[in-house]
Amino acid sequence: MNLTDEQIERYSRHIILKDIGGIGQEKILNAKVLVIGSGGLGAPVLLYLAAAGVGTLGIVDGDVVDVTNLQRQVIHHTPDVGVPKVESAKAKINAINPDVKVIVHYELAMAHNILDLIKDYDFIIDGTDNFPAKFLINDACVMAGKPYSHGGILRFDGQTMTHVPGSACYRCIFKEPPPKNAVPTCSQAGVLGAIAGILGTTQAAEALKYITGAGELLTNQLLVLDALKMRFRNVKVKKNPNCPVCGTNPTITELKDEEQVVCDLK
Amino acid sequence: MQFYEVPDTLYAEQDKFELDIEEFKKGNIDPVKFKGIRVAHGVYEQRQPDTYMIRIRCAAGGITPTQLKKVAELGDLYGSGEVHFTTRQEVQVHDVKIDGVMPVIRGLNEVQLSSRGGGGNTIRNILTSPDSGVSLDEVFDVDPYAIALTTRMIHETDSWNLPRKFKIAFSKNSDDDSITQTTCLGFVAQVKDEQKGFAVYCAGGMGAKPMVGHELFDFVPDTKVYHVTKALKVMFDKHGNRRSKFSSRIKFLWKKLDREEFVRLFAEEYDKIKDDASLNLELPTLENAALDATIPVETAQGDAFELWKRRYVSAQKQAGLVSIKLPLVLGDLLRKDADKLSAFLAEFGENTIRCDRAQNMRLRNIPEAYLGNAFNIISKLEHTLVGHAPFIGNMINCTGAQTCKLGICLPRGLSSHIRERLTSSDLDLDAIPDFRLNMSGCPNTCGMHHIAHLGFFGKVGRKDGDMYPAYNVLTGGKVEMGHTQYAERQDELPVHFIPDFAHDFLKVWIDRKVKGTYDTYYDFLEAEGNDLVKSLCAQYKDVPTFDENPDFYVDFGAKKRLSMDEIGTAECSAGVFDMIDVDRKSIKNNTKLLDQELGAEEDAKVLYRILFSSARMLLVTRGLDANTDEMVFSLFIKHFIKTGIVSDEFEDVVKVGRDASKDELVLHKDKVLGLAAAMTALYESMDDSLRFKTKDGDVINEIEAAEEESSATPKSSIIEKDFRGVPCPMNFVKTKLVLEAMKSGEFLRIMLDDGEPIQNVPNSVKLEGHKVLSQTQLGAFWEVLIEKV
Ligand code: HEM
Ligand code: SF4
Ligand SMILES: [Zn+2]
Repeated sequence: MNLTDEQIERYSRHIILKDIGGIGQEKILNAKVLVIGSGGLGAPVLLYLAAAGVGTLGIVDGDVVDVTNLQRQVIHHTPDVGVPKVESAKAKINAINPDVKVIVHYELAMAHNILDLIKDYDFIIDGTDNFPAKFLINDACVMAGKPYSHGGILRFDGQTMTHVPGSACYRCIFKEPPPKNAVPTCSQAGVLGAIAGILGTTQAAEALKYITGAGELLTNQLLVLDALKMRFRNVKVKKNPNCPVCGTNPTITELKDEEQVVCDLK
Repeated sequence: MQFYEVPDTLYAEQDKFELDIEEFKKGNIDPVKFKGIRVAHGVYEQRQPDTYMIRIRCAAGGITPTQLKKVAELGDLYGSGEVHFTTRQEVQVHDVKIDGVMPVIRGLNEVQLSSRGGGGNTIRNILTSPDSGVSLDEVFDVDPYAIALTTRMIHETDSWNLPRKFKIAFSKNSDDDSITQTTCLGFVAQVKDEQKGFAVYCAGGMGAKPMVGHELFDFVPDTKVYHVTKALKVMFDKHGNRRSKFSSRIKFLWKKLDREEFVRLFAEEYDKIKDDASLNLELPTLENAALDATIPVETAQGDAFELWKRRYVSAQKQAGLVSIKLPLVLGDLLRKDADKLSAFLAEFGENTIRCDRAQNMRLRNIPEAYLGNAFNIISKLEHTLVGHAPFIGNMINCTGAQTCKLGICLPRGLSSHIRERLTSSDLDLDAIPDFRLNMSGCPNTCGMHHIAHLGFFGKVGRKDGDMYPAYNVLTGGKVEMGHTQYAERQDELPVHFIPDFAHDFLKVWIDRKVKGTYDTYYDFLEAEGNDLVKSLCAQYKDVPTFDENPDFYVDFGAKKRLSMDEIGTAECSAGVFDMIDVDRKSIKNNTKLLDQELGAEEDAKVLYRILFSSARMLLVTRGLDANTDEMVFSLFIKHFIKTGIVSDEFEDVVKVGRDASKDELVLHKDKVLGLAAAMTALYESMDDSLRFKTKDGDVINEIEAAEEESSATPKSSIIEKDFRGVPCPMNFVKTKLVLEAMKSGEFLRIMLDDGEPIQNVPNSVKLEGHKVLSQTQLGAFWEVLIEKV
């Protein structure tokens, strides 16, 4: 593939980067990334990946845009209220960058469909709002051998990590979802919208680094943000040999849906 | 009367010059040497071969009616028939053949004018405010200082061989209309405690590397003008960089030394002479008054007369006298017009004409009663812009590619098109009489775009690989004592959109100006003007492809498509070829000497000269500059022998020349002559891009050996890319993309524009880890050789 003149101009600031260059940009243009959830985290992820020229962007979301989303889900705008989020997101992506092919999945990622959803993509992004989904995505990616970025936000806090086959997975650290109602739901707890931006753009950067091979990924470490003090900590984590999904003797060999209140505050 | 006195030695120099011309015509003086001789006499070669222009000094921009009449007559007899008024407040005669040069120069003697120092590394024409002495708001008249200083400086023999040109200007008040901060040395009239004096600025300059001048003194008494000038001259003479023509002006000395060291070195010289009152200038009395005229008073009436008065006539501080501005078309005055004007002006005296910096004439000391006469004469002159608003005549442009080999675009053509566009519009140009719309054909500032309110300088635009003429757009040049600032580049435009752009932009500014929306033009730029430029440029971005509209790719006033082949390379090669010629001739002449059996000792010297010239001759084509013989030989080995351009069978003899005694060379006579022949053949195979060809016409792609080890690399082909006209950072982006596709160890040669591109791209390439083997300036652009790592 050869970059067109228009592309050379559009992506010149990437091409200039020593670690990306024209070769890296071509990789980006050929990459396929699936974003599960186009809410608080998914919105910045999609916007930046679209601008970066990721060749194919898949979006999984079964929701429609609600007015309470607008405080942080920056890809959706006021006139979009009532529109399926996947459609609203797709329209913005097309406007940002016609190079990007958008595939929409107007459904929730569930045990029955997730393997099918992720199978054609090079990198998966967890932009979901609830623990069952996060564990489901982790398990599916581990089983399918897909790299993915985990992200989560609540109140003024956030965390993210990147998993690639062989590195620590989400279940290595957190065995299972907390019991129902043990953590406040997001609608009760609230979240600072900008936190979604910080974490989402971090996940987007991880995806681009993975695609181009630039630098070191957030693997085997959990990046934890305390925005009230505006402190980032990199907590070292290890692959757990007793991990129920990626350990030596995995106990989870089949995907199943776990029950949890769905947060309306993604 | 006269505006300066020429030294008596001048006449002897002219006799010598006449002999030199004869020798040059016979081929006994080579062109480079002759160039040095003639330029010092203000004689420049034009783009057309064997055609010269002669630049005539007019201190303080002054020329008398008698002198003007004579210049016009000489121009008519020996040149193009016009007097050209320049941006340097002087006049020129154009299109003079070699046999006309001496008659013009001798003719000038009759009226005490001189072209000596019109060019060359000397004190150039000294500028002043064109209305100094008559202006209502001046601090005092600065013309006498410029005149006295000119006479003094051109009598000092050491003024004629400075490291580079030395420009001086005087302004009548803090408006600084002589733009002192753009010159080497500038004086701005001030009065402090009833003492006349000057604020002094120095080390400014425009050109491709513009620098705003710095304050040297906030006040010196007016008696010290000479002392300051002399001290700076001596300091410049001692410390200026004589080696590189491109970095030798005083501004570069300041940059190199920093303020403290510069001022210290200056003070060293100044302190030696500053208390010597015998050095004070003797100021001439320069009366601004009118003789009683003998011609009958004519009257003029009507709207045209009133409009002309409003536009072009201003009262002087001398009661009853007026000054008149006479806008010329591109600075040219026909002989017959010059005759009419001279006759009229002579009625009122000799102190009646100044040249201004917008290539126009200023008439002064005209009794108000004779305005009718003046109008009747002026409105009948053939080649003026007097029917238009002053804005039109104030536009400045260089001649550009028409006569100048460095030119990319043809600003004369653009100027005419802007003029037509604006004068056929309904814009109220009388609202902006002082607006400076200046344009240059390339980044050199002959058209003074740096100080433009709205400026343009030529560049190459590109669409799908096709080049079209374009200009950078600048705004915000400002002139004011101590606060001068250069215009900043905002965007760029294809030349064909500029007339409409200029119209659209000025329409808004005139509207705001008339309404008084802003205090100054600069407030306007900040609030909306610069955004307006950008949005208009965005609007005028649609460049048709060559197939859609081939005319778009032809400059205004040009006959064919814009092509880089005639620009830069041609001019640069011309310069380079001049230098090569010196060595070629030396090889030829010295080889002849060998036949004369002068003895071994003499032969050894001759052989050494041949060897030296052979080694040096083509170094310049690689941008190499050697200041010792040893370096010449070493560079030659490295860049010609190690690279495989020249056979290594000559390496030993070059080393003998470098390391051993000359006497040994007699033993290697055949090798020396063999090398001379090889170099001559190589020279003859060289094309305009300074590349060498084999006998079969293939381009030899040498590998430049930056380090000894790379000489071991086998020859490989060099990929060539032309990124001229591609702005930063896209030029780097494209370079990088080419490099990525190459294999390690391969070579890439790119062409880049001067300025930002050459400053940035090689560094960025290095940061990527590649090797930059050489960068060579070829006129307005650069060639950079890169090895992919
Ligand atoms: C062959 C090339 C060149 C030619 C024929 C040329 C010609 C001229 C002429 C004729 C003027 C006076 C303008 C007029 O009133 O008509 C001028 C002014 C000027 N030239 Fe050049 N020029 C050349 C190259 C350069 C270069 C290379 C530079 C700078 C690096 C330069 C810098 C200037 C500046 C700064 C002025 C005017 C402003 C001033 O100092 O008052 N010129 N040139
Ligand atoms: S500005 Fe450029 S084109 Fe114009 S005269 Fe000077 S060198 Fe030539
Ligand atoms: Zn695990």
